Amino acid sequence: MDMIDYPDGEQFSPGHVACAGCAEALSLRVILNTIGPDAIGVVPPSCTAVICGGYPLSSVSIPVQHTTLENAAASASGIKRSLNAMGKPDTTVVCLAGDGGTYDIGLQALSSAAERNEDILYVCFDNEGYMNTGGQKSSSTPLNAITGSTPAGKLSRKKNLVEILAAHRIPYIATCSPAHLSDMSAKIKKAESIRGTKVIIVIIPCLPGWGVADDAAVKTARMAVDSGVFPLYEVEDGVDYTMTINTRNQAVNAYLKQQKRFRHLSDADISDIQADVDWGWEYLLDRAGK
Amino acid sequence: MKGENNIRLLSGNHAVSWGVKLARPQVAPLYPITPQTPILEKLTEFHSRGELDAELLTPESEHSAMSACVAASLTGARVFTATSSQGLLLMHELLHYASGARAPIVMFNVNRTPGSPWAFWPDQIDSLSQRDTGWIKMYSESPQESLDTVIQAFRISEKLSLPLMISHDAFYVSHAVEPVALPQQEQVDSFLPAYKPELRLDTSLGQSFGAPIDQATWNRSRRETAAAMARVENEVLETGKAWGELTGRSYAALEHYRTEGAGVVIVTMGSMCGTVRDAVDALREQGSAVGLLKVRQFRPLPVQTLRNSLAGIPCALVLDRNYSPGMGGILHQELKSALFAMDDAPRVHGFLTGVGGVNVASMKIQQLVTEYADAEPSVDSVWVE
Amino acid sequence: MDRQPSPLWTHATTKLRNTGTWRSAMPEYRTSLSPCLGACPVNGRIAEWIGLLKSGDVKGAWLTLVDNNPFPAIAGRICHHPCEAVCNRQQMDGAVSICSLERHVGDIAMSEGWSLPEPEAVGKKSVAIVGGGPAGLSAAYQLRRLGIKVTLFEQHQQLGGLLRHGIPSYRLDKNIVDCEIGRIIDMGVEVELCAEVGDHHALQKLHDEFDAVYLATGASRPKALPVLDYSKSWVIDSAEFLTVTNAGEPCRLGQNLVVIGGGSAAMDVARTARRLGRSVKLISLEPEHLLPAQKAEVDEAIEEGVEFVTGAEMQSISKDGDSLILECMRIKFNPGEERGRFTIDPVPGSEFQLRADAIISSIGQDADISRWQSLLDNDGTVVNTDNLWQTSTKGIFAGGDVASMDRFVTQAVGMGKQAAAEIGRYLGQLPSGETGANTSQTGFSDINTHYFPPAAPNQQANLEVEDRLQNFNEVQLPLAEDKALAEASRCFSCGSCIYCDNCYLYCPDMAITKLQRGYEVISDYCKGCGLCVAECPTGSVVMLEDRQG
Repeated sequence: MDMIDYPDGEQFSPGHVACAGCAEALSLRVILNTIGPDAIGVVPPSCTAVICGGYPLSSVSIPVQHTTLENAAASASGIKRSLNAMGKPDTTVVCLAGDGGTYDIGLQALSSAAERNEDILYVCFDNEGYMNTGGQKSSSTPLNAITGSTPAGKLSRKKNLVEILAAHRIPYIATCSPAHLSDMSAKIKKAESIRGTKVIIVIIPCLPGWGVADDAAVKTARMAVDSGVFPLYEVEDGVDYTMTINTRNQAVNAYLKQQKRFRHLSDADISDIQADVDWGWEYLLDRAGK
Repeated sequence: MKGENNIRLLSGNHAVSWGVKLARPQVAPLYPITPQTPILEKLTEFHSRGELDAELLTPESEHSAMSACVAASLTGARVFTATSSQGLLLMHELLHYASGARAPIVMFNVNRTPGSPWAFWPDQIDSLSQRDTGWIKMYSESPQESLDTVIQAFRISEKLSLPLMISHDAFYVSHAVEPVALPQQEQVDSFLPAYKPELRLDTSLGQSFGAPIDQATWNRSRRETAAAMARVENEVLETGKAWGELTGRSYAALEHYRTEGAGVVIVTMGSMCGTVRDAVDALREQGSAVGLLKVRQFRPLPVQTLRNSLAGIPCALVLDRNYSPGMGGILHQELKSALFAMDDAPRVHGFLTGVGGVNVASMKIQQLVTEYADAEPSVDSVWVE
Repeated sequence: MDRQPSPLWTHATTKLRNTGTWRSAMPEYRTSLSPCLGACPVNGRIAEWIGLLKSGDVKGAWLTLVDNNPFPAIAGRICHHPCEAVCNRQQMDGAVSICSLERHVGDIAMSEGWSLPEPEAVGKKSVAIVGGGPAGLSAAYQLRRLGIKVTLFEQHQQLGGLLRHGIPSYRLDKNIVDCEIGRIIDMGVEVELCAEVGDHHALQKLHDEFDAVYLATGASRPKALPVLDYSKSWVIDSAEFLTVTNAGEPCRLGQNLVVIGGGSAAMDVARTARRLGRSVKLISLEPEHLLPAQKAEVDEAIEEGVEFVTGAEMQSISKDGDSLILECMRIKFNPGEERGRFTIDPVPGSEFQLRADAIISSIGQDADISRWQSLLDNDGTVVNTDNLWQTSTKGIFAGGDVASMDRFVTQAVGMGKQAAAEIGRYLGQLPSGETGANTSQTGFSDINTHYFPPAAPNQQANLEVEDRLQNFNEVQLPLAEDKALAEASRCFSCGSCIYCDNCYLYCPDMAITKLQRGYEVISDYCKGCGLCVAECPTGSVVMLEDRQG
């Protein structure tokens, strides 16, 4: 059995108020301890903002600026430039944002920071919706998923953020899962070794938002990866694609069926999703030259 | 004049850029917009020539520019940005955030009509509509004042941990070229201490800013802002005096021009002050006891000083180059409010002059004085053709 | 510069917040029984020793093995391994080859010359053990460990019983028997060879001289088929055949042999006869799939050319010159509720004949219980014992084939162990009463199979058939080192912590702390999500309802 390997540390403290079993809290633990103490965080409104606070307590050892929803990347740029001006260019500036703050309202600022290739690490905890406001759709919500604002299921596809970012030709983009913690830590470490804009998207099965059991976040993330719904891969310089795991071992059916937000799907819906996932998988394999 | 050895012909905007360069900001996020752009271009020119050692960043919007300002300021850097009109309006959310964060950002705004319809003329509604965002707001009349004020602004803002916005009018000031006395770098360095905040985003401190807060603490944060606001006028005065000792040009929250024994005092802000000075001179020559009360510091409004200045004056005319639909001129409203329940308050007339950048000639002002000096004022502002 | 406002900046950590109050359930670490342990005749801690083997601690694995069974190398060859039948991994991609791993460890112990742990010094209590087979030796070993003086009485010239006389060398090399028995004797067990305790007087004498007696004389009396005349030179019982052939003495029987019986001994006989160059037919009442012998033994017998005539009964014999004619008939075999309680129905018109030179009868053996008749009650088949393995005479305990119909070698070893514990309690050498036994079982659903990538079982190979029939070399070949390690890593370690840190590293709340060995839940912070349980590979953490306050 492969042992999980990520740096043990005290960068993230217990007593935070994440839901019991939250994979975002788990991912924060891995990411913050991998980055270590020489870092400043930028957190727009999101579950992470709640988890990091609230005043006067902080669950994270690094200093964090709680910004507005749309400006994480711009704020991070400001901090980075400030550190440069003060002669501390090696301090990591890390955004810890949700998908609403990234795919939607924060995309403009992120695109701009990426275009300037600001030396920041941007982590998007992608729980596929505005889960901190009770579960509404974002542009990351997948097709057919039921949310508070798509009670009959979302009518459009999930936005492909990786492709958007790849088009910026930034040095590093990667996807991660809380079921693959060693990989997550390794990718964070790799990102930290690169100068410029690095974006890491972590799939976060939201327990109440997706309708899965308290102990099932990791399992659900694993199924997302194993079914190819959320492939783990890296894109370097916008063009070099590498699959972290280049095999799939299950159909999307089991992954979908165990989530309440997909429970209404017909067999035809599921085959459509399967076809979409198959297409995306082949596309990636092709890009990765496999 | 004391210490001056360098006089240049500069537009208002370039005077700002010179002032900023002398103040040595560490981070300057900038986004272009007419008629602010010359400030940006002069700064980037300084930077590319190695004369400005600052981190310049050029994001995709004023929103991101202000976001970067806030973050850089919270990290402990001296920060400057400039904008105008639409840009300022796009920043609106962050203006609240900045003051809540007590981030001493200095911003220069070039007053311009906001769309729609599209126009590029001097009008102060852009900055006045940001009245309640918690920034110190100052208005400048000339290129020299803009340069002097932007340097003073860093000292005031950083001392009180309040963001500060200075505005001057589009074209009338921004693009008007005048001789401007440039202070020497050593003078400015001695005047402006380095910015070293105690609380900041710093890995050695580990403290976070902006975490969700309870009602009482939010309430307390605004009381603390109020306490800082209460100290602004004095700080503006002290700083203006110190600047005067250095350069011979002193400043205060309000400026009196020939108000001694005046029967009528004209109250206004920005470039209109220049025209009013001309009208005052002409009227005084004609034997009318008229003066100008220039509002340099609009927020916080120096209420007590205004009352003291206008006590016993029979008539005040307020000239607004802005229009708040449904309530008229903003300075007019503010002044009426400032003089509330004052026994020897003047009769206050408000005029919507120059809204949309239309020219307000000296003659027009003289006519208004003649026409309204003895008239009963109306509550509403009066549109002036 | 003035002091900045302070209340906007955080100034303490969330460690002050007790999120433990949220939970309604809390994880608890506990070692649950693996199915293999429950099935193991000696209750061996299989998950534990395989875990040690996996981690490279072969000696630790061996010491864990010999805690319950002093014969890992023997059991690793001949155990009927019911553990594998219940192995949770069977539900994924095949049971772990536990038996082969046990042999692997046992063989290493032999080649390294490891000794059994030094037992406690001999005290005042003494026990006589009658019978030096698996049950007697197991009891001797366990009693000696307790500091009891043990004297072992064996009627033959050598110890081992069935291990030595009943099991052919191609299944169990005698060097191994010598080695593993020798280790027990080296612990300081006194042995009296050729010492038959022939009747109840002799037994009574031991009872008088020793503080307790353990009777483990086995089942040495062959069952007889009524249609056979055992006095004829062409009829021989399997026990006698095996004793003779195992001793290396020549076989005087003719070329064509018929073996009657379907058990393990019948296979041993048939396969031994094949190695002696004979043609062998085997008649059994049972159809092939119900043969009492282990499947592997049947398969290997078939490979070696034994001709099976199953579901048949021999009804009479006649002579045709030197040759025998066996009159047989097909039967329908009805297995009864329990072992040995079958019935048969002849199939009319299915008569057929077989020819042979000699017949070897191998239909089982009974215990010789009549000799203790006046001292020990019996049920007609075996000596009666209570649930503490005590006979009707206080202080005399019994086990193995003399007291039980469970006839596998390792069952006898297990009985010896159990009796030793009871004798220990009887003599005050062990605390009396039940220890709070953990009875929770780890099922397949408790295992997180994600952590065990699919891997086909590594099975030991057999000698090629043509290489088997020329000699009595062991048929089963040992697992290669790398295969053994690969096989060990297939073990789910059901219910046993493997210290993988998953529970610790998957906790989103930093609510688990690492101990020197193991983990502890931090009650102040655990929200009770159960992620640690879900991601535990081995099912050694469980959620329990938490009644806080």
